[in-house]
Amino acid sequence: MSSNQCIEWQGNLACLNPNGLVIKSRHTIAGKHVFGPDSDNTTLAISGLNLLVEESEIGSVKIEGDIDSLALQACGYSIDEEAEWTISCDDNNASISISKNDVFDWDVEGVELDSQFYDDICEAWSKEMNAVSQGAFVSEQSYRSGAASRMNFSSQQLGEIRIWPPREMVGDQRPQQAPPLSQNGVIESWTKLSAGGAPSEFSLRAPLLDGIATVFVRMDDGPCGVFLIADDEMKLPEIGNRVTFAVRRLYAQDGLIRYGLKALIC
Amino acid sequence: MVDVAVVGAGQTKFGNHPLGLKGMWAESAENAFATIDGDFDPSMVDEAFIGSIAFGGGQIGNTAALLTEHTGMDNIPVRRVENACASSGFAFRDAWMAIKSGQADIVVAGGIEKMNDLSPERKRFWLGVSGDTEWERLAGLTFPGTYALMARRHFHEFGSEHDDLVNISVKNHMHGLENEYAHLRKDVSFEKAQNGFMVADPLTLYDCCPTSDGASTVILAADHIAKSLSEDPIWVLGSGAGSDNLALHDRPSITQLVATQRAAASAYNQAGISAKDIDLAEVHDCFTIAELMATEDLGFASRGEGGKFAREGRGLRNQGDVTINASGGLKSKGHPLGATGTGQVVEVFKQLRGEVESNRQVNDASIGLTHNVGGSGATCAVHIFGRDLI
Repeated sequence: MSSNQCIEWQGNLACLNPNGLVIKSRHTIAGKHVFGPDSDNTTLAISGLNLLVEESEIGSVKIEGDIDSLALQACGYSIDEEAEWTISCDDNNASISISKNDVFDWDVEGVELDSQFYDDICEAWSKEMNAVSQGAFVSEQSYRSGAASRMNFSSQQLGEIRIWPPREMVGDQRPQQAPPLSQNGVIESWTKLSAGGAPSEFSLRAPLLDGIATVFVRMDDGPCGVFLIADDEMKLPEIGNRVTFAVRRLYAQDGLIRYGLKALIC
Repeated sequence: MVDVAVVGAGQTKFGNHPLGLKGMWAESAENAFATIDGDFDPSMVDEAFIGSIAFGGGQIGNTAALLTEHTGMDNIPVRRVENACASSGFAFRDAWMAIKSGQADIVVAGGIEKMNDLSPERKRFWLGVSGDTEWERLAGLTFPGTYALMARRHFHEFGSEHDDLVNISVKNHMHGLENEYAHLRKDVSFEKAQNGFMVADPLTLYDCCPTSDGASTVILAADHIAKSLSEDPIWVLGSGAGSDNLALHDRPSITQLVATQRAAASAYNQAGISAKDIDLAEVHDCFTIAELMATEDLGFASRGEGGKFAREGRGLRNQGDVTINASGGLKSKGHPLGATGTGQVVEVFKQLRGEVESNRQVNDASIGLTHNVGGSGATCAVHIFGRDLI
């Protein structure tokens, strides 16, 4: 690892140094970093770990702060109080440090976010947390059982065929567990739903976001999937665009935030 | 093997209906009973199949038992049939099979949905319950979104355009204008449909069917009874059904509905006819792109030519190759989910008997088809009807 490599990474700002990294939201209000519309400590931590793991071997981590441990585990990181790596949250500056020893910081300029929009989004998330399903919903049990596929592209294999999302049986055979898919693909179709066309789970935030965009993607490994575009993705999708993915908040219900992979246009 | 005929068919007006489930069902059943020419009493019915999603959760359990007890069909075997928007298409198929098997002589197939008595928030939760909840819904998709993905891909692969969908919308509104049972009886201009409010890009409000209340009832009878009940029975020439992967991402292509192709092949084969023999077709246009793809999947147009078919007006009443959605289709007539499939049968029954309003009658119609799709194409039922047995 070379010292102080600072890059844009999955819509965030990251700075690597020999001891680890700092990753921050790229959004700021009056110079202070704030979380983006579908980001929080958990999404920053996973993004940071996914960058750091390219440089260092990270099996387990120690958490200091408000991070969803299920989401980290779904992405392949175990939680251990004795772990070599520590994730520290700076809630006041939408910043995460992942290091072996000292917590460190890094000053970087972000992109100014409209403060009213930020307040409205925060309020929407707060209300959404208390929402109760009145019809179709994904239970916590279903969400947990699919978490590794939803957040880490955990896949299956049957003969030469890669399978994602997971299937119980194909014909009379059960597919075998396989390594995660590479997080790259190509847009084959897309739509942008108006606030009125979006599922009720998104009804509070869709009007603030001017609708939500969904893409149909053929993954480089073969399977297809549908994904939301990250809320702060500035590019408009087009058929043929290459995409990569990042874990972001999907929606909240019954007191639980659901996380999943969202598409970022390359 | 026994032949099966439709001897009676009726429905409520689709739209915002003032009555609840029991009232709507009774109105629909009475309208169906009234079309039977011979001596008929509802106690003569051997079995009943009623399609419904039970939208809103008002009466999910034992729906059919509740409804039939209010229409004089007491103490017979009944059940609710659920296959999303294709619920009553499959209820009709089940009724047909009950007679074909020799287990019943007179069977009722129907459908019902009450959609407009919910708060907007609760309604939004129920819309899209028939898609892939875990993977598609969490990616922000309900049916406007899934069909929008299909539409954009169809445009990309085949050069079809949104204006082709506009043509379908305008046609179906024109067809439904004089239908007294239709939900949206509006003359919609090309320019208006072209510039509608965007719901799911590229689909606008004028590409989407409304959410409707409604019920429909069809009475089927075995051949040895049919002629005593009806002077003009309409024969079921073919029944086909198919299914496919629920989620779009599990299908090899998102520009065709394989379930429709399978159902149509089976129905055509059974009837011994092909698409060119059909005079009128009630197709499942929950979104205009669904009709465009259906014209291809049912064989009225070649693969990729659905846009051209619409552009050339080949589905216009009494002007094209085949009249598509003489009733106005789901777009204009309305889409009370569970009631739509047998509602299509009601239209074909009346058209083939020459009993619709004179200004929307399909001329010389002798063979009709119904096409009822569940959700984004996971299930499909296709039926073919004739004035005469072939």
